[in-house]
Amino acid sequence: MNTAELFEQFHKIALNPRAQKDAYLKDGEKVVLVTYYVPEQLIHAMGAIPFHTYGGDLPVNEAKQYFPAFICSVMQTMLELGMRGTFEGCSAIVIPSLCDSLKCIGQNWKYAVPSIPFIPLTYPQNRKPDYGAAFTRAGYERMVRELEAATGLQLDETRLKESIRIYNEHNALMREFSALCAEYPQVTATQRSDVYKSAGFMKKEEHAQLLRELIACMKQEVAQKSSGKRIYISGILADAPEWNRILEDYGLQVVGDDILACSRLYRDDCRMPEDGEDAMDALVRLYCDKDHCSLLYDEKKSRVEFIVQEAKQRKADGVILALTKFCDPEEFDNPMIKDACAEAGLPCVVIEMDRQMQNYEQARTIMETFADMIG
Amino acid sequence: MAEETKKERRPLDPNSAKYKLNQIAAKAYSDAAEAKARGEMVGWCSSNFPVEIPETLGLYVVYPENQAAAIAARGQGEHMCNISEADGYSNDICAYARISLAYAKVKDSNGGQEMPQPDFLLCCNNICNCMIKWYEDLARQLQIPMFLIDIPFNPDYEVSDAQLAYVRAQFWDVIHRLEAFTGKKWNEEKYKEVMGYSGRSSRAWLRATAKAQYEPSPFNGFDLLNHMAVMVTARGKKEAAEAMELLEKEYEENHQKGESTFRTEEKYRIMFEGIACWPWLRVTATGLKSRGINMVTTIYADAFGFVYDDFDGMVRAYCNVPNAINLEHARDKRVKLATDNHIEGLLVHTNRSCKLWSGFMYEMSRQIGEKVDVPVVSFDGDQADPRNFSEAQYDTRVQGLMEIMEANKEARA
Ligand code: SF4
Ligand code: SF4
Repeated sequence: MNTAELFEQFHKIALNPRAQKDAYLKDGEKVVLVTYYVPEQLIHAMGAIPFHTYGGDLPVNEAKQYFPAFICSVMQTMLELGMRGTFEGCSAIVIPSLCDSLKCIGQNWKYAVPSIPFIPLTYPQNRKPDYGAAFTRAGYERMVRELEAATGLQLDETRLKESIRIYNEHNALMREFSALCAEYPQVTATQRSDVYKSAGFMKKEEHAQLLRELIACMKQEVAQKSSGKRIYISGILADAPEWNRILEDYGLQVVGDDILACSRLYRDDCRMPEDGEDAMDALVRLYCDKDHCSLLYDEKKSRVEFIVQEAKQRKADGVILALTKFCDPEEFDNPMIKDACAEAGLPCVVIEMDRQMQNYEQARTIMETFADMIG
Repeated sequence: MAEETKKERRPLDPNSAKYKLNQIAAKAYSDAAEAKARGEMVGWCSSNFPVEIPETLGLYVVYPENQAAAIAARGQGEHMCNISEADGYSNDICAYARISLAYAKVKDSNGGQEMPQPDFLLCCNNICNCMIKWYEDLARQLQIPMFLIDIPFNPDYEVSDAQLAYVRAQFWDVIHRLEAFTGKKWNEEKYKEVMGYSGRSSRAWLRATAKAQYEPSPFNGFDLLNHMAVMVTARGKKEAAEAMELLEKEYEENHQKGESTFRTEEKYRIMFEGIACWPWLRVTATGLKSRGINMVTTIYADAFGFVYDDFDGMVRAYCNVPNAINLEHARDKRVKLATDNHIEGLLVHTNRSCKLWSGFMYEMSRQIGEKVDVPVVSFDGDQADPRNFSEAQYDTRVQGLMEIMEANKEARA
C-alpha cells in the first residue's frame, strides 16, 4: 500500500470502532474496554484485547438519567454508548478513578449498563514513594482478579514480558510518527488524528505493523513546504472530524501534541524487566514514574514548563489548548499554561470543545483569527 | 463543608451553645491571624484533612472552604469569582476554588471573610480531586509547599487493607515532613488528648443530631449547617467538645419543654442532600419554613462522627467521609438517617460546583427514595456562585415536594 492507501486504512478503522469490535468478537476474541491509564499490557498478556473508549461524537439522551449537564461530555457519551448497547459483547470495562468524573461514572455504570461489568482501578496520587508503588500494585492485582473472573482468561506471567515489549515497540512507533508529522506538512490533521484514534481499536501488534509500513512510505516522500503555521496542541481529546477540518482549512500543521488520548498515552515506555524480575513491578513503575499530566498530582506543576519546552522543540508557532468543557483537571492548569506560553513568546489560545458539539462556527472564527496571528 | 456566618438578628445568650460555637469558629480565624502577626507559620487546610495532625503538632490552620462559604453567605461570592475568571479560570470550576484562588491573589474579600495568607498547604482529596488541582495552583501561585494526603475514592464497601496501609503511610509521611518544615514535634500524649476531644465532640454531635428523631424535631436542620464549621475545624479542641455537649443538652431540653429552633409548626420532615446554597441561604430556608417543612437531617449528621480508638481507626474514618465512598455505602448511610429521623421527602441540591457530589446523585437518590418510600425532588444551584440558582425553580420544586408529601399523608390517614 502507498501512503494514501495506508492513511485510508487508518481512517476506516478510526471511524468505525464498532465494526472493529464486532469483528474481533466474531473471531472469538475477548474485548475489554479501557480508558485513560489502564495498564493494557496486563490485559494483553491475558490474551484479551484492550479497546479504548473516550465516548463519541453523539448527542446525549439516555445518560441524562444519570449525569447532570455539568459533567464532561467524555463521561456523558461513554455512558450513553454503554446504555445504547454499542459496547455489547465486551467482557468488562476498566475505569481508573483519576478525576472526580471518572470516580462517578463507575458508580453509574453498575446500574446503567449492568451487562458489562465495571472494574475499578484505584491509583494513588502520591505515587513516587514506595507506599504509592505498593498501592498501585494492589490495584493491578485486583484488576487482574476481576478480569479473570469476567473473561475466564488467566494472566500469563511469562507472556507479560512479551506484552510489555510489544507495547514499548508500539509506543516508539507512535512517537516516531508524531515527529515525522512535524517534518511533513502534507500530513493532514485528520490523517494524524486517525492514526492515534485507530491505535485504540486494534491489537497493538496489528497497529504497529500498519504504522511501520506507513512510516516507511512517508520517509520515501519529499516534505512539502510548510505553511508556516505550526501548532502544538494540548488537551484530553481533539479528534472531532469537524475540528480537524478547521485546522486543515486554515493551514494549521500539528507538529506535536500533549493530548491525553494521543501522545500522553505513548510518551513513556515500561522498563524491560530483567530476568527473574517481576514484570508487574515494572508496570507499576511505569505508572509511578509518569508525570506531566493534568490527572496526576504535580506539586510543582512541571507540566506547564514541559508543554512550553515541547512546543519550542517542535518549533511550533503557536499553542492550542483544546479544553474539553467541564474538565476540571485541565481547567485548573490552563491559566498557568497560557501565562507560561505568553512569557515564552508563544501565542496561545484556549478553545472549548464538547463531544456533542453541533456548531463549530465559533471554533472556526477563533481558529481563523489565530491562524492569521501566527501566520 | 462550611459554615454560616450571617448576621444574628437577636443578641445571643452568651451561655448558649450557638453563641459558644460561633465564638469557636470566629476564634479559629483570630488565633491564626494573631499567630501570623507574631511571625508564626499558618497553613491553609482542606476541610476533611485529618485535623488531628495540625492540632497535635500545634499548627495554626484556617480553612479555605469555610472562608469561601462565609464570603458567599455575605454576598461576595460573585465578586470573587469574577476575579479568578478574569485570570482565565473557567466558571465551571468549583466556586470555592474560584473564590479561594481570587483571595490568594488579591488578599481581600471585600468584607466577606479575611484570613491570613498561608506558609504551607494541607490538602486531602477524600472529598474531591478538584481539591488537588486547586491546591496545586495555590502552591504554584504562592510558591509555598503543599502536603497532600491522597485518600482515593473507594469503589468497595469496606476499606481494604491495601488502602489502609497506603493512607496510614501517608499520614506518617506528612507528619514527619511537617515536623521538618515547621520545627514542631509530634507528641503521642498530645495526640491522645486531641483524639479524646475529637471523640467527645463527635459523639456529642451524633447524639445532638439524632434528637431529630423526636417529632417534632427540637431543632431546625439549618442549625447543623451553621454548627458543622466547628466540627470541621475544631473538633479536637476541648471547647468544641464542651460546646457540642451543651448543644446536645439544649436539644434534649427543647424536646422536654416542647420547644424547637424550628420556630413554626413542623408539618413535614425532610432530608436535605448537598451543600447549602450559601448565597441564597435565607431564600432556601424560608422556602421550606414558610411551608412548615423542617429539614431534620442531612448526611452531615453522620459525616462528622469521627469516633475511633486508635491511629488506624482514625485513618479508616478519613477513608469513609461522604465523598470517598461508593454509591451503596453512601446510600445506606442516608437510608439509615432517613429511617431513623422519619423523613417524608428528600430534597436534593444538584450543585453545579461539585461534580463528585452530584455525579451519581440521580441514581443514588432514586434508590434512597425507593428504599425509604419517600418522594425525591431536586433543584439546581451552587454552593457559592449566586448565578447558578433560580429562586422560581426552587420554589416550584419545593412546592411540588410538599404537595406529594401532603397527598401521601392523606393517603395514609
Ligand atoms: S479528565 Fe476531564 S475529560 Fe476526562 S473524564 Fe475527567 S473531567 Fe472528563
Ligand atoms: S468540588 Fe465539591 S467537594 Fe470539592 S471543594 Fe468543591 S464543593 Fe467541596
